[in-house]
Amino acid sequence: MDYAVVPHWFLGYNIFLELLFFIVTLMVGVYALRIYQLSGQGQSKLFGISFLFISAAYLIQSILNFASSYSMAEGCNMQSMKSMHALGSLGIYTHIILFIAGLVTLAYMALKIKSIGAYLLFLVISLGVILVSSNPLYLFYTLSSILLIYTSFYYLRNYLQSRRVNSLIVLIAFLFLLFGKIHFIFSINHGAYYVAGHFLELVAYSLIFINLLTIIKRK
Amino acid sequence: MSKKRDRLQIIHDILNAIKEKNGRIKPTNVLYKSNLSNQMFTEYINNLIIKGFIVESTSKSGKTYSLTQKGFDYLNKYQMIVDFTTSFGLNG
Repeated sequence: MDYAVVPHWFLGYNIFLELLFFIVTLMVGVYALRIYQLSGQGQSKLFGISFLFISAAYLIQSILNFASSYSMAEGCNMQSMKSMHALGSLGIYTHIILFIAGLVTLAYMALKIKSIGAYLLFLVISLGVILVSSNPLYLFYTLSSILLIYTSFYYLRNYLQSRRVNSLIVLIAFLFLLFGKIHFIFSINHGAYYVAGHFLELVAYSLIFINLLTIIKRK
Repeated sequence: MSKKRDRLQIIHDILNAIKEKNGRIKPTNVLYKSNLSNQMFTEYINNLIIKGFIVESTSKSGKTYSLTQKGFDYLNKYQMIVDFTTSFGLNG
């Protein structure tokens, strides 16, 4: 399996950013479920669940990166290298499963289909293809990009229908998320792209957070 | 030309009609104020009862509807619900 290369100077910053993404996505997820409680609208529930999956994926990623950085700082022998490798693989697979589950739920919400069977089929195929692949990380970025392209088109249509600033902010945020994932397909083993991906995600989640704040403040 | 009402707006209009009558209103009055066809009205009312926004009571004078706490909460937070669902594309 290929691994994303983290530049040495970026260690620590990546953990901080992933925790930040965890907090923002958690807030959006919880708020969407609150909207579901108030309105009874099924789409809000799916949206909330998708963001909670993504939130859990970032939490796992930040814990994994923290554990790796800590082990490196402590110094390591062959035995600890092996356990670190096992921990790393487990963490990456958990992150992939949770993140893809989040994006599949989001795409299912955007498709507006009401069929739990279709959702499960969609989810099992997506995860199955990644998990049996000889290069899961590459396929993860490819599948994430495809799902984000579909979601971005959905938000483009949403903006064209509503013509509201808030809808435009969400559209731009999803485009940044897409750019953050799509370039990894071509550059998994390149540290600079890892950093760029995190900064693109930072812009995306900042926009989502600003959107959420304006809604909360207006009430 | 007025814009077509979405589902959230229709629910708001029904709940608001009940609220304006001090939280108790007859079906014909809600139907009139909500401006829906009979079939659509029945679908919305049944859905609102199932989801706990309103309760139906039957007495000698006939059927009436009243708001639950969830119904009042919906009206109070309506603008926030609309802002959130519109910006995140959840108003389908």
